[in-house]
Amino acid sequence: MNTETSTQTNWRAKSASQTRLAFGQALLEIGERETRSVVLSADTQDLLGIRPWIAKYPERFIEIGIAEQNAIGVASGLATTGLQPYVCAYAPFITARSMEQIRNDVAYANQRVVIGAAASGISLGVAGGTHHALEDLALMRSLPNMTVIVPADVNEAYYATLATLDIDGPVYMRLGGRTPEPPVTEDEASFTFGRAARLRPGDDVTVIACGALVEPAIRASDTLRAEDIDVRVLNMHTIKPLDRDAILHAAAETSGIVTAEEHRCTGGLGGAVAELLAVTHPTPMRMVAMPDEFAVVGPTGPLREKYGMSAEAIVTACRELLA
Amino acid sequence: MTEAREALLKRLDNEARKLRRNVWRALRAGGGGHAGGSASAADVLAALYFHRMRLRPSEPEWPDRDRFVLSKGHANAALGAVLVQAGFVDDSLLDRFYHFESPFGMHPDIKLPGVEMCTGALGHGLAIAMGMALGARIQNKDFHTFVMLGDAELHEGSNWEAAMAAGHYRLNSLTAIIDHNKIGQSGRIDELIRLDPLGDKWRSFGWEVREIDGHNMADIVDTFDAVPLHEDRPTAVIAHTVKGKGVSFAEDTYLWHSNSVDDEIHAKALSELGDA
Repeated sequence: MNTETSTQTNWRAKSASQTRLAFGQALLEIGERETRSVVLSADTQDLLGIRPWIAKYPERFIEIGIAEQNAIGVASGLATTGLQPYVCAYAPFITARSMEQIRNDVAYANQRVVIGAAASGISLGVAGGTHHALEDLALMRSLPNMTVIVPADVNEAYYATLATLDIDGPVYMRLGGRTPEPPVTEDEASFTFGRAARLRPGDDVTVIACGALVEPAIRASDTLRAEDIDVRVLNMHTIKPLDRDAILHAAAETSGIVTAEEHRCTGGLGGAVAELLAVTHPTPMRMVAMPDEFAVVGPTGPLREKYGMSAEAIVTACRELLA
Repeated sequence: MTEAREALLKRLDNEARKLRRNVWRALRAGGGGHAGGSASAADVLAALYFHRMRLRPSEPEWPDRDRFVLSKGHANAALGAVLVQAGFVDDSLLDRFYHFESPFGMHPDIKLPGVEMCTGALGHGLAIAMGMALGARIQNKDFHTFVMLGDAELHEGSNWEAAMAAGHYRLNSLTAIIDHNKIGQSGRIDELIRLDPLGDKWRSFGWEVREIDGHNMADIVDTFDAVPLHEDRPTAVIAHTVKGKGVSFAEDTYLWHSNSVDDEIHAKALSELGDA
């Protein structure tokens, strides 16, 4: 494996409009650097922008069709022969439907399979509850050996995808849909695997966010700064393994922790942080997440507002902790 | 029949008998287990490991080895036995079936040398084997991948996803063997969910199919010698077998899908199987 140029690239965030497409673009660079890489599609060639890969590496591309269980099983078999499979799929289907294949064939057998899971959260809002992935982090996070990454913007998605070259085990990469994903990270490489990025300093309260809720967390921090409330913002892009140090520092140095994620309130980022703090450093917390229900049909933005996954909800949660 | 061939068949029959004895030995060590499906698979396994497959037991990770995936992982006693007999692992493994922290539990564990995948959750092995065969194709390797499926396992829909895709990709380096003993955990498969016409199902997915007597070593060897049966298709071998083969009280009954084995039952089984 050739990784000496891991931070050297001409890639720029603006060249991809969404994290799902940044994943596909990063695959092209992976294809050059790692000749053992193979891409699998579950009828998702456009969803993850892999047509350029197919054109460039037809011999290292496998279309599986709409058969997610088979995609994971085949990827596991490929990995046993020394290849490095990247499975491109829809988050709601590749996780819930293929859970047994991911658990047994990939995680239990500890095969190096990377799952690029697009259209996560409520990014497919109008498609309805059948197409929302609001429990995928809980499912993937519960598996031993599994690495779980949630990029917040296209830049981070690109570099996080490249970082999989150095991860010797299964990876779940949670990607968005067609909703715009405003930039929150630096243009050049800023992704450090397993290390939360501190996007705003602050000692009053901490917001730990991932994915689509990182940008609202920054806005919430800026809003409260105008009131002389300093909100630390951590971008917890790696959900597993969790950056314990960053969380424990935040718990010790600020008055409380708000977690924010586009995922159901059970078992996601909030759950991960709470599990750690409950036994190591009990800390007042609020969780900004999807309530314990299925979302109605609607565009993603209004759905986020309706279910309280917004900057306003984060502001309210911070105020509650400081009250 | 030439003398060499006669000797080959005799040797393989002997390995199969030894394999069945070792299965019962493991089951005694574990206090029980899946006698029926392990015994039905024994002749095919003997032909694969002692005749057809290209293996280096002293180098289990040899990249060019032929692959075998036991999708019907509950027959792991038979897999452990064949790996012992082939020299992948020490004979003492058979005395540690189900034991605490043993690499030899009810289902195959990739940590045991010679085991290619953790299987036993049914409906997984064909997709995995298909991935191995594609891995060979992509890397220009000429190893062959065999996967053994249970017949009742074919109720799992994931098999047919893999069967369709392997047919589409014309994976001639993939051979699926269906251990067709006609009996599942709860009774006769016809009375659970009908599989027939089984051969036609595979053919319609683009596979070359041959039905054989899975206890007739000449039939088994002829078939494996001819694999791949078609240059442009994956091969499906439907091996008609008897569940619990070789031990009268365990034959052709769902009661011996899985059952307890004590010293007395073990002794009775061995006396029927004869010396290896």
